[in-house]
Amino acid sequence: MSREIIAFCCEHSATPAANLAGRLGLHYSENLRLIPVPCAGRVDVVHILKAFEKGAAAVLVLGCEDGACHHIEGNTRARERVRYSRTLLEEIGIDGRRVGMFNLAPDTPHKFLDIVNETNETLKELGGGK
Amino acid sequence: MTEAKIGVFICDCGGAMKNIDFPTIKGELDAIADVASVNLSSDLCLEEGRAKMLSCIKDENIDRVVVAACAPQLKEHVFQQVLRSAALNSYLMSMADIREQCSWAHEGDVTTKACGLIKMAIGRARLLQPVEQKDLLVKQEVLLVGGGFSAMSSAIQLSRLGLHTTLLVGDSALGVRSRELEELLGLEVAPMTEAIDRDKNIEIVTSAELVGMEGTAGNFAVRIRKGGEEFVQSFGAIIFATGPRTEILPQDPGSKSSTRIVSQERLARWLRASSPQPRPRSVAFVFDSSDECSRLPTLVTLNNALAVKRSWGSEVYVFCKNVKVDSEGAEELYHQARERGVVFLKFEDSPGISIEDGLVRIEAKDVLLGQDATLTCDVVVAEEKVSPAAGTDDLRSLLNVRTDSRGFLQDDNVHLYPVASERKGIFFVGDCRGDLDAARIVADVSSAVMGAHELLARGRITVEAERVKVDPQKCRACLTCIRVCPHSAIQLVRIDSEREVAEISDLACDACGICAGICPAKAIAFQGYSDEQILAQIEVLKAS
Amino acid sequence: MDPHVLVIGGGIAGIASALELANAGLTVHLVEKEAAIGGRAASLCCKATDVCSECSVCVVAQKIREAAIHPRISLLTNSVVRRVSGERGDFHVEIAEKPRFIDPERCIACGVCAELCPAEPKAVCLPSAEAVPFSYVLDERLCLRSRGQDCDLCRESCPTKAIEFEPAGRRRELTVAAIVVATGFEVFDARGKGSLGYGRYPNVLTGLDLEETFNREGCLRLPSNGKEPRNVAFVQCVGSRDESHGYCSQVCCKYAVRLARLINYQIPDAQVTIFYIDLQTAGKGFVQFYEECREKVRFVRGVPVEITQTPSGELEVKLENISQGKASRELFDLVVLSVGIAPRKDSWDLASILGINLGDCGFFDTSEPLNSTKTNVDGVFLAGTCQGPKDIPDSMGHGMAAASKVIQALGVQAR
Ligand SMILES: Cc1cc2nc3c(=O)[nH]c(=O)nc-3n(C[C@H](O)[C@H](O)[C@H](O)COP(=O)(O)OP(=O)(O)OC[C@H]3O[C@@H](n4cnc5c(N)ncnc54)[C@H](O)[C@@H]3O)c2cc1C
Ligand SMILES: Cc1cc2nc3c(=O)[nH]c(=O)nc-3n(C[C@H](O)[C@H](O)[C@H](O)COP(=O)(O)OP(=O)(O)OC[C@H]3O[C@@H](n4cnc5c(N)ncnc54)[C@H](O)[C@@H]3O)c2cc1C
Ligand code: SF4
Ligand code: SF4
Repeated sequence: MSREIIAFCCEHSATPAANLAGRLGLHYSENLRLIPVPCAGRVDVVHILKAFEKGAAAVLVLGCEDGACHHIEGNTRARERVRYSRTLLEEIGIDGRRVGMFNLAPDTPHKFLDIVNETNETLKELGGGK
Repeated sequence: MTEAKIGVFICDCGGAMKNIDFPTIKGELDAIADVASVNLSSDLCLEEGRAKMLSCIKDENIDRVVVAACAPQLKEHVFQQVLRSAALNSYLMSMADIREQCSWAHEGDVTTKACGLIKMAIGRARLLQPVEQKDLLVKQEVLLVGGGFSAMSSAIQLSRLGLHTTLLVGDSALGVRSRELEELLGLEVAPMTEAIDRDKNIEIVTSAELVGMEGTAGNFAVRIRKGGEEFVQSFGAIIFATGPRTEILPQDPGSKSSTRIVSQERLARWLRASSPQPRPRSVAFVFDSSDECSRLPTLVTLNNALAVKRSWGSEVYVFCKNVKVDSEGAEELYHQARERGVVFLKFEDSPGISIEDGLVRIEAKDVLLGQDATLTCDVVVAEEKVSPAAGTDDLRSLLNVRTDSRGFLQDDNVHLYPVASERKGIFFVGDCRGDLDAARIVADVSSAVMGAHELLARGRITVEAERVKVDPQKCRACLTCIRVCPHSAIQLVRIDSEREVAEISDLACDACGICAGICPAKAIAFQGYSDEQILAQIEVLKAS
Repeated sequence: MDPHVLVIGGGIAGIASALELANAGLTVHLVEKEAAIGGRAASLCCKATDVCSECSVCVVAQKIREAAIHPRISLLTNSVVRRVSGERGDFHVEIAEKPRFIDPERCIACGVCAELCPAEPKAVCLPSAEAVPFSYVLDERLCLRSRGQDCDLCRESCPTKAIEFEPAGRRRELTVAAIVVATGFEVFDARGKGSLGYGRYPNVLTGLDLEETFNREGCLRLPSNGKEPRNVAFVQCVGSRDESHGYCSQVCCKYAVRLARLINYQIPDAQVTIFYIDLQTAGKGFVQFYEECREKVRFVRGVPVEITQTPSGELEVKLENISQGKASRELFDLVVLSVGIAPRKDSWDLASILGINLGDCGFFDTSEPLNSTKTNVDGVFLAGTCQGPKDIPDSMGHGMAAASKVIQALGVQAR
């Protein structure tokens, strides 16, 4: 397993939040690989599973705040899919905590940082990550 | 498919990314077979840099572009322009954010990560396909549902812009409700209805009802029922202005029908014409016991309290929890009312109202004085609750949109404010979407008029063609996508005598990809974010 | 040729107006006094807890970006309108661009200049992390050259040669068919209420300070010692609904309740109290949110008349007129003054350039009831808080309405 965290980031929320974190010099671990998606609801269970197949240590799906999704319910769809992929992962012996869904707003870089740090903390326990 | 010729353009942002070793990255990328050219630059977004980028694309016959620079948010449009100048479709570019998401986000040497990010973009770029633009015809007709102030002024303004409208009115005539509110709002309804009657651009269908709707923005097929008959008419956009509903909150079940406890409307009628004789010596108003939606009750109360003072000179008491003055001119009205001697008593718990000896008795605990206040009045104007118009829920399901937490039209999602819905071409104005005062309604109307104009003014609209597309061969017509599309952009269409398949409207689609993420047959391709293009980025993990 | 329109003021109202006009096919010149567009709303913070609190702040950044990349909107930042003549359909406008040391067209925000600048505090900086245009600005007053020193570090090192020390101000002349005024508001200066201790006691902040702190730090700490606040009070209607401001600012109750909830969410055992006259909780999406807040936040009727600091650094809030009907005192470790929307003091300048009227409260006046975008000058329209208090959605709606009135006045017809 590599140490990489794959983060599918909604372009309306998490991607701009990540950019702001960079601009404000809020540093986080390098093992985060951000894949922009137009809406968290674009993320398919297959994408999550493939990421693990390719050796990701963790997968994050980051979307808009509850109630503020640009596509009304893309974030809740994403949450359902993350939950489903968690059960699939558990079935093949991968700890379900390796996949997570979080909500944040585009202007909350600190929240973005917290999510990345938290994930790395979890990985410390589970192995992999930084 | 012939192999792509990828041009990689890397910018170090004038030396702002010192923790990246660019020559190493170039060396590594040069080794990739289909990467035709790797260019290092310090000023890619400036004129000089763009000129070099353009000539490189042309000279080397580049057909896929990767830009590794700052956040795409900032300059993507600038680089897309370069592609267009090179006669390349602007979708044939993939960007790697090596500044905000890499160099500035981490301490220490991040060359490996930067290289990985660029490879991800290369993987995606390799698979990109062009997205063309095309023009769609739109029907230059607007349907206005409602016959109140909002609907009438929308029609007048749309007509001024040369758009033809149909007013679908539930009542038997225009402005029935508005007439009752004339005094409150200080507007005259008659000139409006007359102007509409004269206007050749405006058609009126009264005592009618919207019973069905199909299609998408630019071409909605609307089924209208009038006098037991139904007909279908097509519209490019629909504006809903169905207003609110008011209910008198039951005060004291026993005293509900009493002439001593009246509605605002009844009071207004008294004030207008037949004052009760003798004139009431004391009038009390009660509102805001539930602390909900009392912006409008506040306004009516303030206006009517002043009118009572003016016309009858009675003693006036107002019992409420909060005076909601968050609308234009409301604080001024409140001030005037107090100056004219209207007494305001603020309560925390709803007052008790009962009838005693033919008079109304109100008991409340006044929080400002901290005392129990008991008052006997000739007339009490009962609390009115403003809620969504009857039939709103039917409209909601008919339109496949959401209502807000109180059941008004328009979801509580900030991205829809002020007047949009989750569906292109459908707008909500006025009190059908909440408790708006006249000034806010006026703004709503003009905003929706602007929205309809933008969609319909040219009779055609330019859209991205088939950016998100269902493959009819793969579609199993399971309807999953139709069910989940938040913008109702997908419909079932018949392709031959045997098969129906899902089809996406390029105009209604907002390119979220929720459908592509859920389709069990994997029949939906989203250019730029297709499964292959997303997986190609993940693929790089293994390589690194 | 499609008409040109001038929008004065690049806040959310001006931006909403410009976007609508540009989408309708008109060419828009958006003039902004400051170096970056977005206005006040661009400095506000997201107030979401684990759910969106519908404060609309995140909508602003998105609209700013849309305006910045729109091909039919030209941004003229750092500029003001000097003279206007003519009439509807044919206004001649003279715009003065203040001297600008760093050219935003050339600045790539690499930050090399800021790294090297020896001045303390640095004379070159970004207006904000989200600034649009994303370009550094040089503050003349902080630059060592203004103190006679011969520093040349930033100019020398700028990789794109974007810095110039003796810039000439620029003048532009435009001909436009209509003008939208969207110059916004001024935040009430809480120092104007001396008895509340703002500016004297470190732990008395304004709502705006709080917004900016959350934006910068993502959380709230006591300015005096950097610790988590335990007992926070909000004081409503500071600079609204009083003798000199005879209106409700329409935004303070909502931002206060949202911020109170946010503090409570981040620091669950902190007690938050809101002192108010009347709570303005009407409006889309707010009623339910407020109901939830009532369980967590304490609401007390009556606003403090005086705030003093005890020797131990706590803040003593003196109230009159509260439920018991007598004066009382309470202690807090942080007090937030919910400052409201006040008219811009420089509105008069623009009013005289354009010939439009100012109303009693100091906002631009409308000439027709129920048509609050219309002014006494044909072809000049109002948008946003320069006409009266509004929140972000209402400012956007008003801006769109102004755009609508512009195209109606210019007779832009459907084809
Ligand atoms: C009690 C009350 C007092 C108010 N007082 C003030 C005030 O003092 N100051 C102020 O600024 N504002 C006030 N307002 C708010 C507002 O200005 C008025 O309500 C205004 O009339 C709203 O206009 P509207 O067009 O949105 O709705 P309405 O005037 O209510 O019009 C709605 C129309 O839609 C029709 N309709 C409803 N459903 C359908 C359907 N399914 N199909 C077809 N037609 C349908 C109705 O028959 C009606 O004609 C008040 C509102 C209320 C309810
Ligand atoms: C503390 C605080 C918290 C708030 N919180 C919220 C909230 O949570 N949610 C919400 O919806 N609203 C909130 N608001 C309200 C919100 O800030 C306003 O609704 C919004 O900023 C109004 O936008 P505007 O475009 O009208 O004005 P402004 O934001 O003031 O923009 C006006 C622009 O015009 C420029 N300008 C001024 N004069 C000139 C001139 N002569 N020439 C050129 N340019 C000029 C200014 O520099 C400025 O950029 C809050 C307000 C305050 C004070
Ligand atoms: S979800 Fe897929 S298979 Fe089902 S109808 Fe839609 S496109 Fe066809
Ligand atoms: S991409 Fe989104 S908006 Fe477009 S059809 Fe699919 S679900 Fe609907």
